[in-house]
Amino acid sequence: MTAFARRLAGHLARGLVMILIVTTVSFFVIRSVPGDPMAAKYEKMVEQGMSPEAAQRAVEVLFGFAPTGSLWQQYVDYMSGLVRLDLGQSLTVPGVGVSTVLFSAAKWTILPVLAGTLLSFLIGVIMGVYAAIRRSGKLGDILAISGSLLHGVPQYVLALLLGAVFTTLWPILPQGGTADIMFEPGFNAGYIGSLVEHAMLPVLTYALAGYGGWILAMKSSVVTVLGDDFILAAELRGLKRGFIFRYVARNAILPLFTILALSLGMLFGGAIFIERIFNYPGLGLMLIDSITNRDYALMGGAFLLITAAIIIANIAADLFYTVIDPRVRSGEGTT
Amino acid sequence: MTAPVITMGDGRTTMRRNFWHGVWRVLKRKPSRMAGMVIILGFAFMGVFGPLFYPDPLPRDTANLYAAPSWEHLFGTDFEGTDVLALVVTGSSYVLLSAVITAIITVVLGTGIGLFAGFRRGRWDTVLMRITDMKLTIPGLPLLLVLSTIWKFGSAIEMGLVLGLLGWGGVARAVRSQTLSLRERGFIEAARGLGLSTTHIIGRELLPSMAPFIAMNMLIAVTGAVYAQVGLFFLGVLPFEANNWGVMLNLAVFGGGAMSSPAALPYLAAPLLAILLLTLGIVLAVDAMDEIFNPRLREE
Repeated sequence: MTAFARRLAGHLARGLVMILIVTTVSFFVIRSVPGDPMAAKYEKMVEQGMSPEAAQRAVEVLFGFAPTGSLWQQYVDYMSGLVRLDLGQSLTVPGVGVSTVLFSAAKWTILPVLAGTLLSFLIGVIMGVYAAIRRSGKLGDILAISGSLLHGVPQYVLALLLGAVFTTLWPILPQGGTADIMFEPGFNAGYIGSLVEHAMLPVLTYALAGYGGWILAMKSSVVTVLGDDFILAAELRGLKRGFIFRYVARNAILPLFTILALSLGMLFGGAIFIERIFNYPGLGLMLIDSITNRDYALMGGAFLLITAAIIIANIAADLFYTVIDPRVRSGEGTT
Repeated sequence: MTAPVITMGDGRTTMRRNFWHGVWRVLKRKPSRMAGMVIILGFAFMGVFGPLFYPDPLPRDTANLYAAPSWEHLFGTDFEGTDVLALVVTGSSYVLLSAVITAIITVVLGTGIGLFAGFRRGRWDTVLMRITDMKLTIPGLPLLLVLSTIWKFGSAIEMGLVLGLLGWGGVARAVRSQTLSLRERGFIEAARGLGLSTTHIIGRELLPSMAPFIAMNMLIAVTGAVYAQVGLFFLGVLPFEANNWGVMLNLAVFGGGAMSSPAALPYLAAPLLAILLLTLGIVLAVDAMDEIFNPRLREE
């Protein structure tokens, strides 16, 4: 268990360093934007008849840090705000902190991404086993080609195709939002039904985008395992095909958990397109909106939260892998 | 003195001829691979010569906005009455030029860093791979979006440069692991035992055996670059300076309302088809590369 703890500590340290880097990048990007947004806001307030001191204070509140002092001082203030989860004030949603806005948006990204990933994992893994067993036949060929194509096509193309089919040509699914406004948010059948209906297209896109990768990975993993001695031994012992199937699948699935992290990360990145296309108010749409509205505090926050989600997904997948694969657990230091 | 040089040159040309012969054989075995190569060559032709077939600026037909597909306009017209097919063809040069630049930068940087790290091992390896892992963890698209507030990616060359500088991580990792496995093989050991210089070993022994692998990565980098920039323009965070596929997608969806009314659908379908076709071509070609690279796959 100490090995596990050491692994966890290492991951956390690396994750913190990454978050530090990402915050620093967004801090300096915000600073280097042409036509300093804070100065512009300040000028505008003074023009509107505010006293310079009041305008100064208002700008400080808006951006969540004092724009005075050396660059280093500003940087330290920004970082210490981050520790208190204070990312400043959003310009587009006045009076509400950036972190509040972001956390309310985060669930609309995380839940559909997780649902889509699980769905694609289940289907892709099962299909991958078939693609490997039937790899010299027609079925295997078709499965492998469908996998490469779906793996190769970018998520926004999938989303646009699904959108064109299900909201334009054959309008059976709603477009935009998380639920119809006529339902009272809460635990009632109408609202939940509407939630599911609205999440259908995003989840379907995430699932299709992930499926190709799983099928290809599972296929190659199964092909490797099929050559192992223990399968031959099982066959010689006269085990039924169903048992062999389980032997193979169980051993072949392990390497896939490393890909889980990558795929989650990719989906979080792709969420930007999918949320923009289906007008689904998650973190990605928030990032786009903050850029078009030049709301830099919100932009920095959204970028940070997306990156943090990816880092956490990476760590979680790696730890999960440690837990389920005894070889990694015992053989520490072989990373 | 000159004789050995000539025979050496001869040896290398026959080797090269054998290589191209092998490529041809692998392509010939499956018609799908041929199709992939034909598609890629077709796109290259379109990117280089396509704009020459159309007047600049493209003619507008203001009486015919969002026209349905017809023989005159195969994919209909856009919001200004411009032929959509013409937009796809002329828009391809921006997309393809920046994708090629991205691929070259990605592959040169990635191969260089991967080879160096894998061959040297030790401290340099650790430092370089830490940096690579960090690059791989920071999500590319959100970072590009944030950067788009300071850079405008005005020209295709700028776009290619930025994408290339952000994209070498994956190639570096892949090349490093290839190098690690190759350097333990007999012929590299022998070369080191003979006291050949590092540049000779890398340039003459390692690189040629990795060439197909690198070519494969280059094709993947081209696809990635096409997706990334089309996506950036599609999201609408960059100014629409040039006509390209991403701008078309954006205007079709958010200007023409292709997600709710069928009128703009052909306008949306044309660039989508172009992207799908290019992907298909590259996937099929990569399949062939895979076989050239991995001889074990050849016996079926």
